[in-house]
Formats: sequence, C-alpha cells, structure tokens
Amino acid sequence: MINLDRRQFIRSVLQSALVAGSLPLVDLLSAPAMATTSPLVSRHKGQDIGQLVEDTLTALGGMGNFVTAGDTVVVKPNIGWDRAPELGANTHPEVVKAVIEHCLEAGAAQVRVFDNTCNDPRRCYVNSGIQAAVESFGSSRVRIEHMDRRAYQEVAIKEGRELRRWQFYRPAIESDRFINIPVAKDHSLTTLTLGMKNIMGVIGGNRGRLHRRIGDAVTDINLVVPSDLTIVDATRILLRNGPQGGHERDVEWRHTLIASSDIVAADSVTATLFGFQPEDIPTVVAGAKRGLGVMDLSRMRMV
Amino acid sequence: MKISLTKVTWRRTVQVLCLLGFLWLFVQTEYQGQDQIPYPVSLLFRIDPLAALADLLAPGAFSWSLWPALVLLVLTALFGRFFCGWICPLGTTIDGVGKLSGRGPHLCQSGWRKVKYLLLITLVAASFGGLQLLGLFDPLAIFLRTLTLAIYPAYNLGLNGLFDWAYRHDIPVLNDLYPVFRDNLMAFFQPSYTLGLFTLLVFLLIMLLERVERRFWCKNLCPLGALLGLCSRRALLVRQPDALCPDCQKCATECRMEAVHATGHQSSECVKCLDCTDSCPQQRVRFGLQGPRPQAEVNLSRRDLLVSVAAGVLMAPVAQIAPQSHQRNAFLIRPPGAVDESEFLRRCVRCGECMKVCIGQALHPAWFEAGATGLWTPLLVARLGYCEYNCTLCGQVCPTGALRRLPLAEKRKTVIGLAVFDKDRCLPFARQEECLVCEEHCPTPDKAIVFEEQLVTGSGQTRSLKIPKVLSDKCIGCGICETRCPLGGVSAIRVTNEIETRHPQTLAERGSAYG
Repeated sequence: MINLDRRQFIRSVLQSALVAGSLPLVDLLSAPAMATTSPLVSRHKGQDIGQLVEDTLTALGGMGNFVTAGDTVVVKPNIGWDRAPELGANTHPEVVKAVIEHCLEAGAAQVRVFDNTCNDPRRCYVNSGIQAAVESFGSSRVRIEHMDRRAYQEVAIKEGRELRRWQFYRPAIESDRFINIPVAKDHSLTTLTLGMKNIMGVIGGNRGRLHRRIGDAVTDINLVVPSDLTIVDATRILLRNGPQGGHERDVEWRHTLIASSDIVAADSVTATLFGFQPEDIPTVVAGAKRGLGVMDLSRMRMV
Repeated sequence: MKISLTKVTWRRTVQVLCLLGFLWLFVQTEYQGQDQIPYPVSLLFRIDPLAALADLLAPGAFSWSLWPALVLLVLTALFGRFFCGWICPLGTTIDGVGKLSGRGPHLCQSGWRKVKYLLLITLVAASFGGLQLLGLFDPLAIFLRTLTLAIYPAYNLGLNGLFDWAYRHDIPVLNDLYPVFRDNLMAFFQPSYTLGLFTLLVFLLIMLLERVERRFWCKNLCPLGALLGLCSRRALLVRQPDALCPDCQKCATECRMEAVHATGHQSSECVKCLDCTDSCPQQRVRFGLQGPRPQAEVNLSRRDLLVSVAAGVLMAPVAQIAPQSHQRNAFLIRPPGAVDESEFLRRCVRCGECMKVCIGQALHPAWFEAGATGLWTPLLVARLGYCEYNCTLCGQVCPTGALRRLPLAEKRKTVIGLAVFDKDRCLPFARQEECLVCEEHCPTPDKAIVFEEQLVTGSGQTRSLKIPKVLSDKCIGCGICETRCPLGGVSAIRVTNEIETRHPQTLAERGSAYG
C-alpha cells in the first residue's frame, strides 16, 4: 500500500528523532508519494448501517486489504461536538461500531478510537453515542480513550506550506494503520468538512490558527498523518449551521458511505452529494495540487 | 482506662470519616458522564447554618433544600457545639495541622473569646442592611474554596508532574497507575484559578494561628462557632463537674477550647470533644443529659453589642452607595442562573462549588472585579473557559439559590452576555485574513455569529472574504468565541454584560435598541 510506505517513513522519522532526543523533521518532498492516478472509490447506499459498511468495504476488496493480522489500528471518527447522533455533527456511532468490527475480523490486535474534540471531550464522547458504541465490544482489543496531553509531539515539517512546526498526537502517527471516518457536513470556511479536515482531530496546539489559509494547513497535516482508508459517513449530512448544527431540520438522511484509500478522491465524491464540485472545497483543491490525491472525478474508478 | 481511650478514638474516627466524606463529595463535584450530578455534592453547605442565614436574610424565598442546617441548629441546642469538635472539616484540619506544627500556649487574654460573637453580630447586622459577607468568614466556605482554588489544583499539578516524568522516562508502574488516578482521583483537566495563592494565604494564616493558641480560629474568630455557641448556651448535654476541681485543675490546660474555668463550664465554648473525660486522672468528668443550668458564659457587654451592631448597620449602606459593579465593569459576567446582581451578592456564600464543578473551567473567583464586597464570587472569564452549551452543573450545586437550577431548555436560552468584535484586531477586519473560528464554535442551533462575503482588494487582486457578525438576538454570551479566538493575548471578540436575562430592564431595551 502506498500510504503505508509513507506511514512507515514518517513513523521512522519520529522514532529515530525521539531516540536521538531531537525534533522530528518530516520532509514532505522526500516522503513516498501518496496519489495513484486513478483511485478506486466505493460509494454505496443502504438503510442498514452494518450492511452498508459491509458493502462499501467489500467493493474495495474488504477490510483485509487495509488491515492485516496483528496491526494496531487507529479508527478516527469525528467526535468534535457535544451533539446527539441525529444532529449530524459527529460520525454515526453505528458506523464507528461496524468499522471496528471489520478491523477486528481482519485481525487487528488493537483498535484505538480518539478525537481531539471542540466541546468538552467527556460530553462529546458520551453524547455522540460513540463511547457507548465502542465500549459495547467489551474487549481489551478495542479502546476509546481521551487524548493523553503527554502524547503530543512537536514535529517540524519541511516544505510545509502553512505549518512549519506543529504538535501531532503520537498514537496517530505511530499506529500501523489509520482509518479516517469523518462525517460529511457544512462548514462556513471550508464549504464542507470531510476527511481531510477530520485530521485536525489528531493534532494539538492552537488549532484556530490553521484557519488563516486552511487549505494548505490541512494539507500539511494530512501529509504528516496519512489516512490508509477514508470512509466518509454520509448516512445523514448536515446542510446548514455546520459544523455542529443543532436543528434536526438542517440534517438530511442520505444513507450513503463513500470510501477510498485516496482521501482527496473520497472527499471529492462526497462533495457532489451536497451539489458541490471538488473545486468548491479549498481543502480538496490544495490536497490535489500537492499530490495528496486525485480530485478529478472523471479519473476515479467508482465501485 | 480502656473505655476512655475509646472515646477519643471514636471522636477522631468520626472526624476523619467526615473529612474523607466531604473530600469524596468534593472529588465527585465534576461531570462524570451524566447531565445531573448523582450525589448531594454541596452537602457541606446544606448543613451550614451560616449559608441558611445568608439565604434567609436575602430577598426572595428561603431555599428549603437547606433544611439540614436547621436540623443542625436544633441538635446544637440539645447537645452543644458537637459540630465543631466532631464534624467541621476546617476544625479537623486545624487539629491535624496543629498536631504536626505544634501549638501555642493558652492565651491569658480571655477577651479574645467574644470577638467571634461580635463578628457574627456585625455580619448579621450588615446582612439585614443588604451587605452579605458571611461567606468570607464561614469556615466551611473557607475550607471548600481553599480546596477548590488552591489545594486541589496544587495536588493535581504535583501528580501531573509525576506522571509526565514517568511518561517521558517510561517508568512502568507509574504509567500503569496513571489511568486509575486520572479517572478516579484527579481532575479531568489540570485546574487553574485566578485567586489560588491569595486563597491559600488566608487558609495558611488560620493554620498559623494554631501556633498562637490551640483552636485559635474556633475559639476566637469563627462566626459559625459563635452562632452554634449561641444556640448551645442552654444545651441539655452538660459536663459534670462543671467547674475545675480544686484538687486537680488539669482540665484548664487540657481543654482545647479552654471552656472549663474555676467559675464553671462554658457550654457555648465547649465543642464536646470529650478529651476531659479521658484525661481526668480521677475519672470524675463525664457528660450527661441534665437539662439546662446556669453557665459561666462569655460576657458580652451592652457596649460591645452596640459597637458591633453599629458597625454592621453602617457598613451596609456605605457598601451600597458604591457604583454598581456590573454596570461599571462591562466584563463582569455571572454564571447562567445567577439571580439579579444585588440579590446574587446577598445569596452567594463564596463557597466555590460552582467553580469546582464548572466543566469548562470558566468560573473564577472575583478579586475586585465585582466591587470590594464581591470578593470570591464567581465570574465567567471567557478568555480562560466558556460556558458549555448543554451543561447545567453550576445551578445544580449552588446551595443558596444564588445560581438557580435551570432546566436545560431554559439554560440554553439564558443570556449571560453579548459578544462584541474588536475590529482593530479581528483577522478578517484588521488584516483581511480568513478566520471564522468564532462562527465555527458558536453553539446556538441558529448561529449567533454569521458571516457576510465581501470583496476586498489587497496586493493588486480582488478576492472574496468572509466577515463575521454577531446577531444580538441570538447570542447568549457563552463565551466560546472568546475562548477559541486564535489571536494571542486578548481575544478579538469579547463577551460583555450588555444584555443579560437576569436584568429585565436591559432585556426590555433589547427589544427596541438591539433586536
């Protein structure tokens, strides 16, 4: 897997720097490339969320294509807001649960779930329904945890356009696999918040500062934390008053999932659900320009 | 001898258990996954007669949730100041600290004893006149706010430092212990408060007084001790023999409260610790229910009374002629559920429960922000933390109704302030850069911060820029915009108390001028 090469590269940079006691320096240019020319994108519809996750993943060859036995896997939903599942501000707990099930079936040794939330993390974990969904496994192989403030690591980003240095959450970099499961929703500054912006949940620091030139800033962090698989939750999409909403009338049920190992491609296809083109989403445009993935819909292989 | 040993052991056990119980309730004063706190975490103030007194003397209805305080007064009338000797967490702390630090000899000047009564009388007289300062001297408030603002944060800082060190050096046992501590014995976030050091100094001063004289605070200064003392003047539980025995006089030096004299036993000063029953060489001393008897009480002259009443009566109006703080200080933001400012100041006993429970660490003790008489009252400092939209905890823990217990639907609509942009600093206004962090975080379902797209011209090209704007009829003043504003230093959007639900007059203006 191409992303995995990159993941290993960045992990080795981090680890050797920590051993040497110096600041890890990720050179974005010398890291292995991410984009393929014609990414496979799975887009499925269905009322039953478990079945929907199954169908979406099967089209990509199953979770076994992304997770191998013994892997430590980070499953990163959006748990950013103190909002109930029906308000569409966080990833649907049943999607999280089904994705974890597939990781376990593929033989993951450890599945970890976390997010650096915007509202109080305890309230977000509880009221999103995600804490209960993860804890329902009752297995030591699956863990939802609050961010450990000690585990943020400053990383220098060579060739970073907007960020030259930032705090990253080590478990997100150090895991064997990173599965990104954002929820698709409205966002005033980035038009939509999808997979790429969801990576803001594994960084620390004064995150508001990324808003100045958010396309490049979000691309910078995505180049440091590559997603091996992005599954966009569009079971229901938040159309207005994003990214936290609050009215059910702003939420529309679409019963859809979009998945790809190319995060830009997954975000691009999701944008069309809202009636946008990939060009309308600044994070997608910046990501595609810098080789994070493909935004050209005609080049995608839809399955 | 065996039986008498048991009495001391009994008392100490009860003291330690009560202290641990109050500490346990203190640690539970935190969000733990439920919107309603399942324990009576502010029990310490529901049994506090001074809190009940403040509540009683404030305008508005009495908070009947304080009924345990009335029960305590009745029990005190029957059995004396047992609360001071057996239950009061500050008294227990003083006993423990005195044991470690050493204690001063008895003061010869027994005139000190009446200071606490005079203080109580002054405070009550002032309360009648509208100035409530009982909370400043309430031992239970002193105990809890010291714990909240100083000791618990320091304890967490120490443990966090230890676990950070263990994490960096990969110490196995400590690393395994961390989750246990973090989830049960530590605060979720490192607590941080504005008046920690000052609060601690007051507490340390009270502890230091132990070096002057044993239980100096309880004997001479504590207004709660004075109130309980007044109730126990005719207590049924009395000491026999009441006066010092001519052949021994050991009680004169043994008694921590110096309540036994040649002329008799001062029931109002005795905390029923029962030490004298243990230490009596002849095993003569015992306590029994005997009905009230004339006692050798602390003598308050008519002149003393006059002076202390006059002090209170004078202080109250002088305090009230000070300009209204909430009008003078636009950034004086009170928690949601706060009643009208003048009633609020009369109800708040400065216990610190709301600051402890605040999930966003938004509430901080006031220094002079709320005027000279608003010391230690809770302020929302929005740059440090915001009021969480779906949280109602502060109203749940307030013992005196200074903060009303708001149902969630009402809380979400309660306006505690209005956010205002500083256009000289806000990025889109001042530097024509994108931002909208405030709009992103604004929690009202129909956002109170919206944006308009404007064309701006800079360095030779024209582009579209999103300019934020506050809708004053939607903003509830929660302050998340001020907390999250990414600028360094002062936020470019600040919450002012220009519009508050609790002040109906400004609310009326809202319809015309701001709506």
